[in-house]
Amino acid sequence: MTNEIIRIENLTYQYAHTDKPALVDINLSIKQGEYLAIIGPCGAGKTSLALSLNGIVPHMTVGEMRGKVFVEGIDTTQSQVCDLAHIVGMVFDNPEYQLSQSTVLSEMAIGLENIGVPRDKMLIRIAEALEIVGLSGLEERSPLALSGGQQQRLAIAAALSMYPKVLVLDEPTSNLDPMGKEEVFSVAAQLNRENQMTVVIVEHEVEVIADYADRVIVLDQGQIVNSGNVNEIFSDIDSLERVGIRPPQVTAIASGLEKKGYHFKNLPVTLDGADATFSDWLSRSRP
Amino acid sequence: MSNIIECINLSHVYPEGFTAIKGINLKVKEGEIVAILGQNGSGKTTLVKHFNGLLKPTNGTVSINGIDTAKQTVFNLSSYAGYVFQNPNHQLFATSVLAELEFGPKNQGLSNDEIEARVKETADFFQLHSIINEHPLRLSFPLRKIVAIASIYAMQPSIFILDEPTTGQDHRGAEKIKKFLRKLQDDEKTVILVTHDMPLVAEIADRVIAMWSSEIIKIANPREFFFDLKTMEKTKLQQPQATALSNRLQKRVLNEGITLTVQETIKALEKVVNQQIN
Amino acid sequence: MAGEVTIPIAYVSGTSWFHKLHPIPKLIWAIGALVLAFSTRNPLFLSCFFLFGFLLIILAGILNNYLKVLLILLPISLSFIVLQSLAPAFPRPWVTISELGPFTIYQEGIYSGISLFLRCLAAVNFASLMILTTHPSDLFTALHKIGMPHQANFMVSTSLQLIPIVQREFIIILSAQRSRGMKSTGFSAVIPSIVPVFAGTIERIQQLSLSLASRAFGSKGLKTNIREIQATFKDYASGVIGLGCTFVGAWYLIYYSDQLDWSEDALLPVWFSEVLVVGSAVIFIGTILYFWRKAKG
Repeated sequence: MTNEIIRIENLTYQYAHTDKPALVDINLSIKQGEYLAIIGPCGAGKTSLALSLNGIVPHMTVGEMRGKVFVEGIDTTQSQVCDLAHIVGMVFDNPEYQLSQSTVLSEMAIGLENIGVPRDKMLIRIAEALEIVGLSGLEERSPLALSGGQQQRLAIAAALSMYPKVLVLDEPTSNLDPMGKEEVFSVAAQLNRENQMTVVIVEHEVEVIADYADRVIVLDQGQIVNSGNVNEIFSDIDSLERVGIRPPQVTAIASGLEKKGYHFKNLPVTLDGADATFSDWLSRSRP
Repeated sequence: MSNIIECINLSHVYPEGFTAIKGINLKVKEGEIVAILGQNGSGKTTLVKHFNGLLKPTNGTVSINGIDTAKQTVFNLSSYAGYVFQNPNHQLFATSVLAELEFGPKNQGLSNDEIEARVKETADFFQLHSIINEHPLRLSFPLRKIVAIASIYAMQPSIFILDEPTTGQDHRGAEKIKKFLRKLQDDEKTVILVTHDMPLVAEIADRVIAMWSSEIIKIANPREFFFDLKTMEKTKLQQPQATALSNRLQKRVLNEGITLTVQETIKALEKVVNQQIN
Repeated sequence: MAGEVTIPIAYVSGTSWFHKLHPIPKLIWAIGALVLAFSTRNPLFLSCFFLFGFLLIILAGILNNYLKVLLILLPISLSFIVLQSLAPAFPRPWVTISELGPFTIYQEGIYSGISLFLRCLAAVNFASLMILTTHPSDLFTALHKIGMPHQANFMVSTSLQLIPIVQREFIIILSAQRSRGMKSTGFSAVIPSIVPVFAGTIERIQQLSLSLASRAFGSKGLKTNIREIQATFKDYASGVIGLGCTFVGAWYLIYYSDQLDWSEDALLPVWFSEVLVVGSAVIFIGTILYFWRKAKG
């Protein structure tokens, strides 16, 4: 059995003054080193689920929680958010809202200062993290002068400097331009591939997820309605439609052709996969 | 059809000395949906801010509806060109959706009857009756976006400038926006769309203006634009996946030209297969 | 950009003796200057004190930035002269110097106005000296070392960072609302301009607190600092001298306050007082109008 790093048992959470729970009976096991994507319509509970992975839900939100979340065996209800910071790093959707210091260096230092890392070790960790995300040399820059993509990479680097085992990203690219999106997805994929970082990402960009994710869970109205690898999830067009998620365009194309009577062994979910599938199909259907 | 927006050799240099846009020559016809594409910092936002007078040219001219904007106030131009900011939270301030919709017409000095009529028409168009008394900040983000667009619609401008209307939306929200954009087009409104959403552009734009490093580097219809791989690479923009697929297949199997949407691709592939069989 | 009015008072990097001085003695000097300035109304002392501060500013190499601050503060401080002349904050009886229309200029008013003006400038000189030559992080590191709680420290320094951000947001919101036909002035512009700023700032702070908590903010235990502040002998010496001057100076000024009270003696020619009051009023009102127009864009 591969190492489980986070386990969620029967998690139900309802925010105060709301009439429905945001999360309903969630059961989820996250394995070390996997790239897990969480998708679903607005209001499905994706953010609430992501925030429960380091204890922000319930400690920094107002509401009622039932069930448990275990991070490396630690019950999140029995510990503080600050105590889990060295296991789970969190990156939020608005790059600028995460920044508060006048230089990149001081921004990177906050987390390390909080946990009392000695100064010389701080500088090493910061240099390492900035190198991984491609921001070396920008230590004295003002974070506000960086592009959105750079700011978000800075947020990732700040989380990385704490040496977490899991990186959770809540819609990290929604406020970025195409270049910025590419930068963030690329860093996340690299961390997963080369540093064996467990990546949990909440996203709407289904086409990118199809390229990178090991596993996808679909959330709707607080519940996990589907879970599986990218092929299983994205080729189940009807299920996606019910929930209000669009499939990758290539999958929709194949599905559309199936509705007209043509048949494909497997619906493609990536561009490369579709290229192969359709080239093959077109050459096979030559008399 | 007349040119509702015209820029002649437009440049804008900020007080600190930064040249945000230069040498912009552009004509937008009434009733067009024009998408303005480019990375952040390419000058898109600076350009469109000239259309409602928020910025005035440092060189060149901008005319809206034949009026030179250089001497017009934002207030005067707001009846011709409505600007919906990217973040609805920058515009929503009232305690009800109704009050938000009334804000623009009230500023325009309309009578109470006229304001009521405008609000009703807007609520009809955007299907807001069920949430008309809700506090805007309690609405979900997609709905807030729609309320922000609706509040500009209530001023009945002939030009809509929408800054990233589908960003931050889920699929359903984006579909709603697309639906409203089509409705606006049916009503012969001119829409300027600043966006990164390529599938949206492929589906709905009449023309694309691509910006790079403060200049316009291409003006074309979506098909021509997405086919121009050199420009796509230079601006670091990407084709919608359906287009990318047809592009790949074209090299090997298809000879139908690139497609822009899922539906087009399905038809094109079907056609090829039928041709092969027959 | 149209509508941009920013406050220029912020750290300016440099290598002067003042830049290298430890933040605590600088803080002592700034507070001490404030105490001394407000211990007396004597115009001679205040002018000398102002000039002394001005000299130090030149030595620190921050003259240009200081002048930008002064440009904004000077006209506003001149308002003191106007207001005080017409309604002195001074024990009666008042001696009338002149009457301009419905307004009466009093001797004590002029004295009080001029001294308040000079107090303001003298204090600003030393405050600017401190603020412009001290990196905020260094100041907060130093405060932390002398016992200020880490979290309180951090909250104050972060709030300072927020000021230019909130300013920028305000400008964006004004543009957004003007695009909806809002007129920039008048009572009806207040709520549509301010509510989004508040809502946005609150949301920003909430998000920031989540991000900080995720980086272990609130941990118990030892905190370290990436910035290094060493206190050397000259820093201690400066601090002690600063304290010493403040106490001695304040004692002297208060003990001899009667001798130093020149309100009866400093008789200025009438025309001078009139020009001073009218001129100050003109400059003050003109400045307000200038910034008003600039903010409107």
